[in-house]
Amino acid sequence: MKSVLITHADLPLGRRIAKVLWHDPKVLRILALGEGAIPRVFNSYRDGVPPRFVYERIDLARQRSVSELFRSKRMRVLGVDSVVYVPRHGAAPEGAPVVAKIPARTAEARLVLHHAQESRSIRSLIALGSAFVYKLAPSNANQLTERSELDLDPEVAPELRSWIDCDMLFNAEFASARLRVLLLRVPTVVASGGFVYLHPGLEGTAGLRVRPAGFDPLGSVISDKDVARAVRTALHTDMTGVFNVAARELLPLSVLGRWTRRPCIPVPGPLLAIASGAAAQFGGERLRGRLEGPYLRYGMSLDTRRAAEELGFTPRYRVGVARAGDGVMRVEAVAI
Amino acid sequence: MGGNGKPPAAPPLEVALGSNPFVDALSGEVDPLEAWLAALDRLAVKGEDVVPLRPQLVTPSAAAATPAAQPTPIAEPRAPDVELPLPQSALARLVGEEANQKLASLLGRIDGWDRFGLSRSALAQAFPFFYALYKLYFRVQSANHAKIPSTGPIVLAANHGGLLPFDGAMAVLDVLLHTEPPRLPRAIVERWAGTLPFVNVFFARVGQVVGTHENFARLLGEGEAVLVFPEGVEGIRKPITQRYRLQHFHVGFVEHALRARAPIVPMAILGSDDQAPILFDVKPLARLLGLPTAPITPTFPWFGPLGLLPYPVRYRIVYGEPLCFHERFDSEAALDPGLVRALANQVRRAIQTLVDKNRA
Repeated sequence: MKSVLITHADLPLGRRIAKVLWHDPKVLRILALGEGAIPRVFNSYRDGVPPRFVYERIDLARQRSVSELFRSKRMRVLGVDSVVYVPRHGAAPEGAPVVAKIPARTAEARLVLHHAQESRSIRSLIALGSAFVYKLAPSNANQLTERSELDLDPEVAPELRSWIDCDMLFNAEFASARLRVLLLRVPTVVASGGFVYLHPGLEGTAGLRVRPAGFDPLGSVISDKDVARAVRTALHTDMTGVFNVAARELLPLSVLGRWTRRPCIPVPGPLLAIASGAAAQFGGERLRGRLEGPYLRYGMSLDTRRAAEELGFTPRYRVGVARAGDGVMRVEAVAI
Repeated sequence: MGGNGKPPAAPPLEVALGSNPFVDALSGEVDPLEAWLAALDRLAVKGEDVVPLRPQLVTPSAAAATPAAQPTPIAEPRAPDVELPLPQSALARLVGEEANQKLASLLGRIDGWDRFGLSRSALAQAFPFFYALYKLYFRVQSANHAKIPSTGPIVLAANHGGLLPFDGAMAVLDVLLHTEPPRLPRAIVERWAGTLPFVNVFFARVGQVVGTHENFARLLGEGEAVLVFPEGVEGIRKPITQRYRLQHFHVGFVEHALRARAPIVPMAILGSDDQAPILFDVKPLARLLGLPTAPITPTFPWFGPLGLLPYPVRYRIVYGEPLCFHERFDSEAALDPGLVRALANQVRRAIQTLVDKNRA
């Protein structure tokens, strides 16, 4: 039986994972952390004495608040032995930088990892990472395995840089004897209703996006339900290391954008370069990332054989376009 | 927030499957972007295959009858359930019934986009154009199709020529039309092709794959037929004095064939070296522009970009005896550079012999 701490449980992926773990009979207790108020979906989970589900508001990027939490009596009482690190994502994926301009996502990963190592009771940490950390060669569909090179270009956009930094933080702890660290690299996450997460260009509110004309990269996708299943599978194994997880389907950027209400307008490359240069000059780093990311030109297809063979995870949801009950065509995930 | 046991008064935060997230749940107002996007959707739905899973599309009346909380189920695709686009254009009408059946059989095995970017709808749309080139423009004749294994991984190695890679397109089409069940060879293209706007998308959608080791290994691992031009760019920029003389071979294809236990089928393509004879290659200019070649031909640059179009030469494609190196060597042999080079030279000699014999 596991007692699990989940970060960012107020954000969509965190909510989904918390729900799946709540229904997992092998999970004894859940401590869900979030910045915002408790989502209503958790209201019914908090019944029972002692409660099986506890929600705590916390700023994970602040050293003091995280330190106090990990040393608190609540943690000891709940007996947390596993951490599921869900990164900051959604409409405001970056958050305000904390110390020395470190992005909030990186600061959070560092603090959670550090305190998980220091804790006496925590034995495993399952982290969600992004598949956009890979270096993409000029090709419409790069075949990426867990051993593929990361994009360590110093000029990489800050949005991607924070993902790469988080990835390397967890990578450095794979050999740790005290703490089992398992990193799941997930591609663009789609959720029923046309929601998109963890895609540096499409994440956020619906609306127009731009992409370089003449490029339409193919990308792996995964359903949010499969992400939650992968986390649950990872939680109950003894494996460590990096695992790519993705659905079998791939979607071109133009199609993914169109069917998630984020249509990508093709703009000639030179115009994008000028706009990107202006954004860099005036500090619009997020805008710069959206204009010149390699994921806008070159595709990627994740090799998930390691996850299937060693972790025992295979996707159970197909991602595609379907007409929902209200008659609107949207990206949907349907059980195989 | 607290609400222990009390039903929530406001709508839940999570949008139920099947409801529209772009309609404000409280006020009922539609996102202003939605109307414009809905129009875009209606246009897109008319295209027959932007939908990767080929879901069961429902009519608006049926959609209204569907309970709001349930999405329309996505049907599993069935291989024989292939509807070809109606032959509306003159080009499409040109395609004969047999070729149409081949295409239908091939399309039935493709679902949306494959791992390398091949698109079912793009292939269906491009087929009539290339079929017209094959039948009317280049008037391709071919022989020895029985040499192509019908199943399993194979490497098709051919000579390369002509400024634009029409030889690749004709070879792909020839294999497709003369194998049963029809096989679509995946041509390996130069890496710089992946950086070219529009070209990279077109190549990927019709089945060409950028030549990385990962792609090559994966294709053979999946039992595909892979078409390579081991001369690379040297083949297409050789001058008229060198036509039909095979240039230096790259050896990567032999390594992969050994590892994947795949036979190598030599192919001779005659006609490609005559489609755009290069009189002179201005190499300094090519280096300056970052291009593989800056050719002078009888028509280029005198007639502008039109001068690059191939002349209507007749193509002949001949297949040679498969070279089964994997039966003589184990996969560890791929690690021996000397052996791999020797085997690549053997393939080169086989293709050169085929070319010389069929030119005579």
